[in-house]
Amino acid sequence: MKQIFVRPELCMGCRSCEIGCEVQHSKDKTLFSAVLQSPSPSPRLFVEAAEDIKMPVICRHCEEAPCLNGCISGCLYRDEKGFVRRKKERCIGCWSCMMLCPFGVITRDKEKRIAVKCDRCHKLDLPACVSACPTGALQLVDLDEVPKEIRSRAVLSGTSAYRS
Amino acid sequence: MRHVIIGGSIAGISAAKAIRQSDPSAEVTVLSGEKARPYYRPMIPFLIRKGDIDITFEGDLEKRYGFAVAYEKAAGIDVAKKEVRLESGRNISYDRLLIATGSRPVVPAIPGIRGEAVFTLRTAQDARSIGKSAEKARSAVVLGGGLVGIKTAIALRKAGLGVTIVEKLDCILPGKFDRRGSEIISNIVEKEGIRVLTGISISEVVRAKGELRGVRLSSGDTLDAGMLIVAAGTLPDLDIVKGTGIRTRTGVLIDENLRTSVPDIYAAGDVVEYTDLVFGRSAVSALWTNAEEMGRLAGRNMAGGKAKYEGFLSVLNSSEIFDIPVMAIGLVEPDPLSREYESLVEDNVDSYKKLVFKGSVLVGAVFINDVENAGIYTNLIRSRMQMGGLKEEAIKGSLRYINFIRTVPEQTMSA
Ligand SMILES: Cc1cc2nc3c(=O)[nH]c(=O)nc-3n(C[C@H](O)[C@H](O)[C@H](O)COP(=O)(O)OP(=O)(O)OC[C@H]3O[C@@H](n4cnc5c(N)ncnc54)[C@H](O)[C@@H]3O)c2cc1C
Ligand code: SF4
Ligand code: SF4
Repeated sequence: MKQIFVRPELCMGCRSCEIGCEVQHSKDKTLFSAVLQSPSPSPRLFVEAAEDIKMPVICRHCEEAPCLNGCISGCLYRDEKGFVRRKKERCIGCWSCMMLCPFGVITRDKEKRIAVKCDRCHKLDLPACVSACPTGALQLVDLDEVPKEIRSRAVLSGTSAYRS
Repeated sequence: MRHVIIGGSIAGISAAKAIRQSDPSAEVTVLSGEKARPYYRPMIPFLIRKGDIDITFEGDLEKRYGFAVAYEKAAGIDVAKKEVRLESGRNISYDRLLIATGSRPVVPAIPGIRGEAVFTLRTAQDARSIGKSAEKARSAVVLGGGLVGIKTAIALRKAGLGVTIVEKLDCILPGKFDRRGSEIISNIVEKEGIRVLTGISISEVVRAKGELRGVRLSSGDTLDAGMLIVAAGTLPDLDIVKGTGIRTRTGVLIDENLRTSVPDIYAAGDVVEYTDLVFGRSAVSALWTNAEEMGRLAGRNMAGGKAKYEGFLSVLNSSEIFDIPVMAIGLVEPDPLSREYESLVEDNVDSYKKLVFKGSVLVGAVFINDVENAGIYTNLIRSRMQMGGLKEEAIKGSLRYINFIRTVPEQTMSA
């Protein structure tokens, strides 16, 4: 299965991915509507920066997804492509998923009071964030084609065993 | 291999799924004593006002995962013959058995409590009965200020009833939130018109010709009420394990592979007593999330796996109280006399946040109306990671996932 790879060493912190995501999830999918829409469509990934590193933090559609396993309403489910998605009408805004996502990539739609998360642009060939990234810091790749040593480095230090 | 699961709720169903995923040839029978399609139990407060919303697990589980659900209650276990006796008198044999009977509401022995118009809230049926009774009643008393009590009170308030919560301890949400957090939540519900009485207990349920009139309080006062909801907590449902030799304390005791003391019998969910990751002692969890995880791991092990279960956080609550998100995770109110713990607090006009540290390890967190990124903190608590210099950052709220990535050249992650 193709997955989104993040390469922090290529990230300039320009936030094009966030804007691409907002546009894709705005009402008529234009930058104009994304800017004017109120409340503005929240991005579903976040460019974060620490002292010596910048990178987009993105939903990993975890194999054992804490958000999905802990959802108390049946709103979150795994679709046929393996993506963790929402059945919006089932969400009751209990924020359990937010309490459980170890990557901090679930946000709240404060107006509708429902959880917002990455849907992997399941209708597009290329996710909007990947299309928008000018440097290749976000790439869609076939996991099997990524050399093993790069993949093994994808296990990030300091997080517990939520495999992706 | 023939697997039998007693209890058809989240622990039982996630075990059944996991067994079938690990071993597609396994034969799995789930016994559902509630005689209802598996459903999302935490959703039942919503049935009080709208009895017809669909809260069941979607799709045809049996077809999709290939297990059978029998809507029958187990009446006994013969551990020597490896058989489960059903209420109908039929026996079914097992190679591996899972106890997933969950927990049951506790009803304190108060004079007059048995009788009409007194309810507990544990099943979808309970919720619908409460809803029906609420159509006629003008006021309700809720015994117990835990999360279930508060959720019931909110539903009844929204249905237009006058509602009073009576909590015998001196604050609501005892053990689930810290004192300040509980005070804030108390203020929120009171502002919405729910009365909260703490440090007071109900000494008698007042009836006239059997009909509920109200309750008498330990203070001597009486409260009028058309209905009484008992939300005094739950205890593991141990009926089925009595006389089997399965070791229990408050709940069924399990080892790190979720096995009970009797060979080939496992247990998962609310019925279990096991290690709390931050309390440093065993506890019962009474949480959906934990029941799902235990069920999944038990199922995997029943099918031959060796999944190791380290334990759960028995405080892991997230909810919305009248549009205000509130969360409590881990050890939220350390013993004030202990020097081992340090609490960092940010108490603002419109939000509240508390982090509890043991040395440089985060062991507890409370978030009210400022819950973004909470999952990062939950993960830190669960993984008992050394935080070093990030403590101050943590309370300021700027802590994000990236703070935990030690820079490795060319580090990559997948999504
Ligand atoms: C109103 C309410 C709100 C809640 N909200 C939350 C929340 O927001 N977040 C959260 O994490 N948790 C919440 N919970 C707790 C959560 O619902 C439980 O932790 C969870 O349901 C436990 O799952 P379980 O499978 O272990 O047991 P249960 O859900 O208790 O199910 C056990 C099942 O086994 C059946 N059974 C018992 N004995 C037998 C027998 N002999 N034969 C056959 N079947 C039997 C029972 O009838 C029952 O259907 C809430 C609970 C309630 C009541
Ligand atoms: S836990 Fe977080 S990263 Fe994993 S699938 Fe859920 S939202 Fe995505
Ligand atoms: S906020 Fe919505 S999606 Fe998240 S756990 Fe609650 S019901 Fe599920």
